[in-house]
Amino acid sequence: MGDILALTVEHLMLSAAGVGLALVVGIPLAILITRYRTLAGFTMAVTDVLQTIPSMALLAALMIYLGLGNQTLVVTLMIYSLLPIVRNTYTGITGIDKGLIEAGKGMGMTRWQLLRMVQIPVALPVIMAGIRVAMVTAIGIATLGVLIGGGGLGAPIWRGMQIVDSSMILSGAIPAALIAILCEFGLAKLEKAVTPRGMKASSPAKS
Amino acid sequence: MVKFKNVVKAYENHVAVKNLNLEIPEGELVVLIGPSGCGKTTTLKMVNRLIEPTSGSIFIRDRNVKDLNPVALRREIGYVIQQIGLFPNMTIEQNIDVVPRLLGWPAEKRKRRVYELLEMVGMDPEIYAHRYPNELSGGQQQRIGVLRALAAEPPLILMDEPFGALDPIARESLQDELKNLHSRLNITTIFVTHDMDEALKLADRVVVMNQGEVVQVATPETLLRNPANDFVASFIGKNRLNGDSLQSVVEIMLPDPVTVHPQMGLAEGLALMKRKKVDTVLVVDEQRRLLGSVAVETLDREHKRARTIGEIMNQDPPLTTIRSQASAKEAFDLIIGEKLKYLPVLDENDVLVGLVTRNSMVSALASAVWGDVGE
Ligand SMILES: Nc1ncnc2c1ncn2[C@@H]1O[C@H](COP(=O)(O)OP(=O)(O)OP(=O)(O)O)[C@@H](O)[C@H]1O
Ligand SMILES: [Mg+2]
Repeated sequence: MGDILALTVEHLMLSAAGVGLALVVGIPLAILITRYRTLAGFTMAVTDVLQTIPSMALLAALMIYLGLGNQTLVVTLMIYSLLPIVRNTYTGITGIDKGLIEAGKGMGMTRWQLLRMVQIPVALPVIMAGIRVAMVTAIGIATLGVLIGGGGLGAPIWRGMQIVDSSMILSGAIPAALIAILCEFGLAKLEKAVTPRGMKASSPAKS
Repeated sequence: MVKFKNVVKAYENHVAVKNLNLEIPEGELVVLIGPSGCGKTTTLKMVNRLIEPTSGSIFIRDRNVKDLNPVALRREIGYVIQQIGLFPNMTIEQNIDVVPRLLGWPAEKRKRRVYELLEMVGMDPEIYAHRYPNELSGGQQQRIGVLRALAAEPPLILMDEPFGALDPIARESLQDELKNLHSRLNITTIFVTHDMDEALKLADRVVVMNQGEVVQVATPETLLRNPANDFVASFIGKNRLNGDSLQSVVEIMLPDPVTVHPQMGLAEGLALMKRKKVDTVLVVDEQRRLLGSVAVETLDREHKRARTIGEIMNQDPPLTTIRSQASAKEAFDLIIGEKLKYLPVLDENDVLVGLVTRNSMVSALASAVWGDVGE
């Protein structure tokens, strides 16, 4: 099947689109709730609940509003990616040593400068770990996209299941598993690369 | 430079600072000291508006801080926090550089400043500028914390127990360095500590606080000589009490003078004095309470007539003694004023603890003038 490659690329793009949207929505949201802590509990509860809705049910429900097609799939993926991204960004930023925040403020950083120079860089490894989890989850869930008229590697898997053709199932399942592993691996590498030497785990930064 | 006027900080169920009035002249190093929770940090943070006072005002060079933009204000004030708070994601250079960067200094000027500061504390910039905080020792990190506060040449710096977490040796040397920097740069400094030794060593003036109130503001000398009340006295500590800027009499006495018991025979006493090369011995009982003294001449004169030390010990004029709580200066005054050769030091139970001689006095003076020259 020559178009397996095309399907794989499409699958990856759809997953990335879902996670990308979740980043655009989730990171500002997480930063917002670090400033207005009263909103934090509520927001976390909502993202938690969203996460527990079975993916088939969420797809079906969204389909009613958004119709058949990739847009419904991408929005579903975004919703599932929201939790790891919001949670990790939030805990990453709020978990920062109080001393760093006080030092930054006391030296005359504005809130924005504090965020850009200290909070985001220090929380970045944790945020990256959230993105990694989101991406791997999204790749898995995207195989269901075919049920609501979306593309990606779901098509050969489901068709194979209907005609009981295991080689057809595997032609979709194996590339899906492979890109999940590659993403996991690649993002782990990236996570290391964006962690400054001063924050590497071997000798945790004392502050 | 800094003026607190009727400053109060009250929390819902606790008044952290009660009506603080204090003026700090330009260039002075003031140390705030007091037990935990007495409001030192609160006082400090009200200066750079990390905490807003409930009432009263604070002026920096006659500007009410309330009228200043807090961000701009903080960039003008160096700030060293207790936990050091170096940014782990930045190199040493970037850490020192923060305020100059915020102020928009050009890159070369910033780099020059970083190198100059590192050299000032004896850390080779070529080695350290590009390291990360976790690649430095605790003492080095503290130094960077101080340099970071000095970077933009602020006219005022606030330091909250900056050396708290260090071992005594690193602490001493950083104190020396700070003292040195301060006398060179003359930056007005408010320094918080709860270590009296540190306060006495560094301060131009010490502000003793307790439960949100200022108890005494004084130079280290005055504080030692005239503690305002029992709280200050106990905070200074017993062994420093009444001390001149020099020290207590205990520190200048010979701790182990030659003593004899009254039952000792004269010949034995004479031999002992020859052996120890002294011309007087102190006579003590079993509990080492002082009974009297015998000079070598008396011994010589009487050794035909008497058998034991006890029989001849009271022939000399009554001894002048001093209590061990007294200061070295009182001992000096006595020895010089009464032309004494020596002065036994007794504790509150009349037990002999030491002896000040003209010799020990001179060597104590010498070490005060020229540093420790060995006794
Ligand atoms: N946000 C707050 N709410 C209520 N009480 C507070 C708050 N911050 C500080 N306090 C109280 O104010 C008092 C003074 O606190 P402060 O931090 O100034 O003490 P400190 O002298 O710096 O003590 P330490 O030597 O332990 O650092 C303390 O009793 C503290 O519990
Ligand atoms: Mg404190």
